[in-house]
Amino acid sequence: MKVRIIAFASFREILGKEVEVDLTAGKTLRDLLGQLEEGHPRLHEEVYLPSGDLKETTIIMLNRVNIDSKGGLDATLKEGDELAIFPPFAGG
Amino acid sequence: MMIHIGPEKIRLDEMISRSKRPDVGAIVTFLGCVRDDGIEGMEVESYEEMAQDELSKIEREALSRFDIRSVDIVHRVGRLSIGDDIVAIVCAASHRKAAFDGCSFVIDELKLRSAIWKKELLKDGGRWIP
Repeated sequence: MKVRIIAFASFREILGKEVEVDLTAGKTLRDLLGQLEEGHPRLHEEVYLPSGDLKETTIIMLNRVNIDSKGGLDATLKEGDELAIFPPFAGG
Repeated sequence: MMIHIGPEKIRLDEMISRSKRPDVGAIVTFLGCVRDDGIEGMEVESYEEMAQDELSKIEREALSRFDIRSVDIVHRVGRLSIGDDIVAIVCAASHRKAAFDGCSFVIDELKLRSAIWKKELLKDGGRWIP
């Protein structure tokens, strides 16, 4: 199944603006990030604390909804999902 | 009413003109610009669909919370130089208090809730503003 990832700010500088990843069915968000890290080794340090928890400065939206309300990194992905990853907002 | 995110220069005079109508007696504007904090310039980026949706929500909230007639919001993206405008908010009301309160509410909420990021450009690289 294909999942689209769009990245902004510091995450765009690591991943590029948009990436499409081909995953086997039933994979979670954590699996997807792991797969992305293979081609983008700087991603791990940007996303995770040394403890393995997500940094507070990592915001991930799955289909425009924050993953905090969708099971976090254990959320199961499906074909056509769109993931957005970015740091806290700083406009104005 | 207008919400716009784009690279174009901000035309504050046009925004003010558009806000004028017979029942408007006070127009408060906020204009944010690039400050020289020892930087070379600034890069502004947005998740445009998400930011547009949130700015529309903020506009609706401002219209329901304050006795205002209109709110216009323009936010620039792209590479900006020292002194360039970044964001403009124009809030029109019959009386000044509501216009001040509405404008203040909109810029505070925009900073918290809109999917926009700024990077300070330095001589030796850059730094995303946290």
